[in-house]
Amino acid sequence: MNTVKKILKIREMTSFLFLIALFAGVGMVNSSFLSPTSLLNCFNDSVVFTLLAVGIAFVILTGEIDVSIGAILGLSAAVTSTLLRNGSSWAVAFLAGVMVGVVTGVINGFGVAVLNIPSLIFTLGTMGLFRGMIYVYTGGAWVENLPAPFTMLSKAKLVGDLTAFYAVVLAFVILAHYILTKTRRGKYFIAVGDNAAGATLIGIPTVNTKFVSYVLCGVFSAVAGILYSSRIGFITPTAGNGYEMKAIAACVLGGISLTGGLGSLIGASIGAVIMSSVSRILVFLGFSSDYDNTITGILLIVIVVVDAVSQNRAAVKNRHMRLAARAQSKKGDDQK
Amino acid sequence: MKNSPLESLKRGVKSWEFALLMILFLEFVIFGAKNSKFLNPNILLGSVNDIISICIISLFVTFVMITGGIDIQAGAIVGFTSIIVGVVWQDGGLNIWAACLIAVIAAALCGALSGFFVAYCNVQPMVVTLGGGFLYSGLALLVAKLSATESYKGISGFPDSFRQISQFKLFGVIPEQVIIFAVLTVIAYLLLHKTKYGRKVFLVGVNPRAAEYSGINSRLVIMSTYVLSGISAAIAGIVLTSYLDTAKSDIGATFTLQIITAVVLGGTLSTGGKGNVIGTALAALVIGILRFGLPLCFKINTQYLDIPVGLLLLIVITARSLAGNSKVVRFMNGVMPRGWGKTAAH
Repeated sequence: MNTVKKILKIREMTSFLFLIALFAGVGMVNSSFLSPTSLLNCFNDSVVFTLLAVGIAFVILTGEIDVSIGAILGLSAAVTSTLLRNGSSWAVAFLAGVMVGVVTGVINGFGVAVLNIPSLIFTLGTMGLFRGMIYVYTGGAWVENLPAPFTMLSKAKLVGDLTAFYAVVLAFVILAHYILTKTRRGKYFIAVGDNAAGATLIGIPTVNTKFVSYVLCGVFSAVAGILYSSRIGFITPTAGNGYEMKAIAACVLGGISLTGGLGSLIGASIGAVIMSSVSRILVFLGFSSDYDNTITGILLIVIVVVDAVSQNRAAVKNRHMRLAARAQSKKGDDQK
Repeated sequence: MKNSPLESLKRGVKSWEFALLMILFLEFVIFGAKNSKFLNPNILLGSVNDIISICIISLFVTFVMITGGIDIQAGAIVGFTSIIVGVVWQDGGLNIWAACLIAVIAAALCGALSGFFVAYCNVQPMVVTLGGGFLYSGLALLVAKLSATESYKGISGFPDSFRQISQFKLFGVIPEQVIIFAVLTVIAYLLLHKTKYGRKVFLVGVNPRAAEYSGINSRLVIMSTYVLSGISAAIAGIVLTSYLDTAKSDIGATFTLQIITAVVLGGTLSTGGKGNVIGTALAALVIGILRFGLPLCFKINTQYLDIPVGLLLLIVITARSLAGNSKVVRFMNGVMPRGWGKTAAH
């Protein structure tokens, strides 16, 4: 019984149960949704969002935000695809894509961590900057005719219907989760997000940690951009527009608190699956994809409101219990 | 403390709004020198249509940010109101002004809903308005589906009286949108800086708990700011629909960056408690003129315009953050005339 309680107390468990309930609910309406292939495709299709959500989760855990990741995704996708189309080797193209992530991450990290500028405002600015760079780099044209081996890569299967992409990404997420929860440096992220001043006092390099979180976020978004170009096969200058909002939404769905210090990377990836399954679920339920944004918005609002209200309740209850305990002990003192 | 006119003038010169005015002036000089067409009142005032939405909405998003919140759903509400006007008028068969009224009420309800979650459920404003952005843009699509017109085409062919909103020109020069903007600026200024309500907005932003203890219904105040920004988005949506003569569900989708840029550039603190309507209005004009002047005078492709706007935001906030940093201020005071940095630092 205790283990069950313990498992239920894990924050991302709520999201996981929600995911199962969602899938079961859809399965009841349309049982073909529950076929292994269809279920696995929900995970396979979430690969880009998983990377974005996990990347931004680093930043959100430290209590900041990064709204430029959609533009970073687009920029990295544009750079990688253009190089590949012009006949560069894969290594060069991938490296260039990842470098885009590093550089953009360093810029964001410098502004937020070192210059101490409110992160939403700063990354809004860099979002405009990076998005504009895509236009400058591509001249506003689409990048098309990517080499076939590259676009086929996204369809490569590892075992059964599981794509190699998702397997690799999943392995990375688990590794990152392990580093974040088990190693000393990994725990810095959550410590900084939970209480930045306290973290500084006990000797945690707050500025460094925030900086690193932005660089990691940039790299994850850039890799997401490379996978995006492989999956889609052509890049428009608006590629990744609005993805930052969906990635943030995925994190929130996965139980990560936007005030920082609460949540996990596994939660973020579960949230990403929920997020990217919405349109697929709509198809199975017989709705048009026009409901996509509406459902996403309702899901997001309902989950955060329920979470906030239950947290407020818990806080009030705790305070009452504390007061009651104090009154009790005082009574005991008086009687002595 | 009594101020001599000279002193208040001195203080005025040092203020951030004055700096914005200078930037605006500089833009006029540079763009005007580069291309004399820019200073042609017909062309200059004709450009107002492209920037009016940002100007109107940012005025009232300032209120939200002063309470310590943020509103990234306003762009979605613009599209939502536009499509409501179109559908109610064309497919509902109602009078166009009734359609506008319904749209404004719908937008106010959208704002109230988000504001309710922020104020009464203590959810972070960023998350609520993020969800709100999805929800209202999604609802806009669904409303568009109710129409007989294909949603990507947009509803057009509005009556002349409605189109007059964007066609009418006072004295044959000043477009009505400029008047709307001026009137709204005055209303916002009076509301924020001259009424009890405005003082409450500031107090809630500085210290919500103190505001609550001093008898202010801070939750209601916070919620009301979101309603105001929703209504302003509706006004912007109506004006834009009239100008384009097209009701579409996604016309405001790209506004978020520009709105927040205008508010922050105007001197409002993103953490709340400090802000200024005049600053926002000037900043919105600075951005608008920049977006209008660069393509006209320097042949910069409109697709690239996110770069200068982004850069402007980055430079301003970086400079202000450096000016707020005591080490930098001390260093600069050695080099620059005394008092440098005081104006920009908060």
